Amino acid sequence: MENKNISKWVNDFTTELYDWAYFKTSSAVTAEDLVQDTFLVAAEKIDSFNGDSSAKTWLFSILNHKIIDFYRKKSSNPITLENDNVFNFFDIDEGWKDEKAPKEWHEEDMNLLDNDDFNVVLQKCLDALPEKWSTCVKLKYLSEKGAEDICQELGITTTNFWQIVHRAKLQLRNCIENNWFNN
Amino acid sequence: MKHIMHILMLSCLKATELIEKKIHVKLSFKERLQLRMHTMMCEKCARYQKQSAFLEKTIENLSTKHSHSANIDELKLKITKKIENLNEK
Repeated sequence: MENKNISKWVNDFTTELYDWAYFKTSSAVTAEDLVQDTFLVAAEKIDSFNGDSSAKTWLFSILNHKIIDFYRKKSSNPITLENDNVFNFFDIDEGWKDEKAPKEWHEEDMNLLDNDDFNVVLQKCLDALPEKWSTCVKLKYLSEKGAEDICQELGITTTNFWQIVHRAKLQLRNCIENNWFNN
Repeated sequence: MKHIMHILMLSCLKATELIEKKIHVKLSFKERLQLRMHTMMCEKCARYQKQSAFLEKTIENLSTKHSHSANIDELKLKITKKIENLNEK
């Protein structure tokens, strides 16, 4: 057992792991639990850590498994997205389809930023996006790196990045309109 | 009419793409002009632009909100204790 290592890791990486878990789950309680579970798994499996990757990478891979498990278990009232084809939104002439065209949003003001109900709907709409899409949309607010750098890490080209952001925003806008403004 | 509009100043599909691109990078002069002309004529895309900017604010707000509200030091202590308990077993 290399307890010294683990203690050092708890000290060095808890903040980063917590921030990531919080970003992915939007819940402080859940994020704390996931980080704690991550270190418990690390402590149990320390012998299988061979030092090929950095400790940080290893811990993050454990955490990411924990996050995926968390979402697998959580299945309450999911909002599902329609097919991701842009031609759900635009007709063959690339003009808006009538039923998908942006409608007037009546309560569009900054008070919504502190409205918990609105933020729940927003989070659900973000969660309903394919993983890489929501990451691309959110990451420019999370990381010091440029959005493009991280998308490349995710295996997405720059051209793809614009397309993904565009599609994600179309879906997101539509989801918010249907689940908040038209409700 | 729709076709002429698209040739002169983008389709709605292209216009909304530029609206998203503009959030991340500076558009070229031509792109800015095309987008400006389009949103002046197209109420739907003008609305999209406004709503898209609003959504950016809500996403930013969600991502930064409470992100450091947890007491990290307490969490570290809690985890350290759990690991010690684990090793005593």
